[in-house]
Amino acid sequence: MRFAIKVLTSIRFAAATIGVIILVSVIGTLYPGGDVVFGSPLFLALIGILAISTALCSLTKIVPLWRDVRRPQIEVSDHFMQALPYFVRLSGVSLTQVRDSLKGYAIRETKNGSTTFLLAQKGRVGRFGSHIAHFGVLILLLGVAIGAVYGNTNPYNNKIAVIQEGGSQQVDGFSLRLDDFNVSYYNNGAVRDYTATVTVLDGNLIQTHNVTVNGPLTYKGLTFYLYGYGVTPSGNAWVAFQIKSTSGLPLVWVGAAVALVGIMLSLYVPHKRIWIKESNQSTQLGAISNKSSSRFLNEIEGVRAKLESPPHRVEYSTRSE
Amino acid sequence: MDAVALEHLGFEIALGTYLISSVLFVLYFSIKKQRLAEMGFTLALFGFAFQTLALASRWLYAGYPPWVSTYEVMSFFAWAVVGAYVILNVKSDYKSAGVLIAPLAFVLLGFASMQPTNPAPLIPALQSVWIFIHVPIIILAYCAFVIAFAASVLYLFKDKQLSEAHMKEGVNRQRDAASKDTPPSRTPESTGILANFSLEQLDDLAYKSVAVGFPLLTIGIITGAIWAESAWGSYWSWDPIETWALITWFVFLVYLHAKTQSWSASLAAYIAALGFMSAICTFLGVGYVLPFLQTYINVSTGLHGYAGGGAISGTVLFCGILGAVLLLLLATRKKPPNATRAPPAQTDTESGPTPQ
Repeated sequence: MRFAIKVLTSIRFAAATIGVIILVSVIGTLYPGGDVVFGSPLFLALIGILAISTALCSLTKIVPLWRDVRRPQIEVSDHFMQALPYFVRLSGVSLTQVRDSLKGYAIRETKNGSTTFLLAQKGRVGRFGSHIAHFGVLILLLGVAIGAVYGNTNPYNNKIAVIQEGGSQQVDGFSLRLDDFNVSYYNNGAVRDYTATVTVLDGNLIQTHNVTVNGPLTYKGLTFYLYGYGVTPSGNAWVAFQIKSTSGLPLVWVGAAVALVGIMLSLYVPHKRIWIKESNQSTQLGAISNKSSSRFLNEIEGVRAKLESPPHRVEYSTRSE
Repeated sequence: MDAVALEHLGFEIALGTYLISSVLFVLYFSIKKQRLAEMGFTLALFGFAFQTLALASRWLYAGYPPWVSTYEVMSFFAWAVVGAYVILNVKSDYKSAGVLIAPLAFVLLGFASMQPTNPAPLIPALQSVWIFIHVPIIILAYCAFVIAFAASVLYLFKDKQLSEAHMKEGVNRQRDAASKDTPPSRTPESTGILANFSLEQLDDLAYKSVAVGFPLLTIGIITGAIWAESAWGSYWSWDPIETWALITWFVFLVYLHAKTQSWSASLAAYIAALGFMSAICTFLGVGYVLPFLQTYINVSTGLHGYAGGGAISGTVLFCGILGAVLLLLLATRKKPPNATRAPPAQTDTESGPTPQ
């Protein structure tokens, strides 16, 4: 069981699954009618495996990450400090000065005997970005699944309602009346747009809407799209509306938005951490960032240069993470 | 001069300058005179300015943004690629990347020049606010992937150059050890056109480009889904262009995950190159090549009608770009270590003399 979780949560496994999904998708686009693979049990299973892998990956990592971010190690060993990508010994600099020079950082301090430890952090939310993105994708998939299950069980889903001008059609407890249908043209005779004016009659409620090609009507979980039009032998216009259930749709959009926010957080908000250790003998400063390391190291170097001029003794290493 | 004439003039000048710029960059790569790269860059900048003029005047007289017809989309893409290249060179010096960018811009614009230019009024399905958002965002994402690809290919070339220099170093060192009178050879250093940037810089540039392109592609796919939902009542229908956009998204998703792991930077570079190829398949392959493979031509229906102007010339364009990409990638392959040579790569030049 532990081994299974280890495999499922590994990025290698996820990457391999994505590789297979890509391969199947490519094949699905290459031959006519190949898009049936996207509804096949094989494809659904692959997506399911990827979803489980994504969920487990975040579930196993989010608790330790939360703990690390909420209760970070403030008292750190010299060995730990010296192993950080940026490490420097400061001289003639007080802790107050350091604190004042770190703008926008959340600062914590502890004392152990005569030694003071300080941890300054910025961009902690960036660490959660990838997990927020995973969560968003899972919400989206849930929306897709709900749409597939409940949408398809709705008797009106994918049905076509044909209504004559002046006539109406009963749909799911309310009725839709076609008041007017218009085609507008460009100067050269090409069609500009089709507009159907419809009225929803639901008990005491009477609402009139314009339905256009890019502007469908949504009412009580059903969306009506322009599908076709024509003229009856008696000269009356008729319009065909395709009806779609909106089941799961809000979850799809919310999931997509959450995933996008997560992606942006993980890519654009680096988690920066600076430890300072002040004792009788010396003041040490160590820093690390999980993204854009060189820019962060320059920033810290700037802070150091401001605090301490001229530098006393500097050990500056720019090891990449 | 009226707007139409201005557009054509700007277009022709841009086409000409991109061609000369491409020639200069190819020369630069063979005779390695820095001045040639400077001139190539200046010309590309010049062409970019004229193309900006052309696109702006077209937008004015056509009354809709210049990214709907084949002619417009190809031209806009060329413009955006050169724009991304120019921006890239504001803070740092990546002019050498012009050897990939200028020919790409020229080929795209050349293809555009073969298309009908008359603006057609927008069909009802295209009349949506999303046309202002979805199309340029996707094209900007592709531009970011072009830059990521350029950085990755330069990375792979530089990596190859360094490891070959190391190999020579190994041979020299063996010879030095055998005959003590020759002076020790210097550390291998990359020379010529790749000397301007380090492996780390190129790797970083590729990552940053993907970090820009990936969210843009994500937004592009989501806005496309919203548009499809409002026009067709289905946010996702596995049509080939949606599927290929998702494939591209998946490839770059793997790239970003690879970057969080201690996987080799070369592997990441190959994944980025694969992602770029997938983007080309989405942008050109789906519209031009799939109709050949599929007996029914129902592929570029719907809103993605930009792939027009003849399946043959489009297929030539697609195969040309993809073929060039594949050839470049093949050229980055390291030579297999020769048996008579010293062991390559892992001999570290700073670790002192090897015991003999």
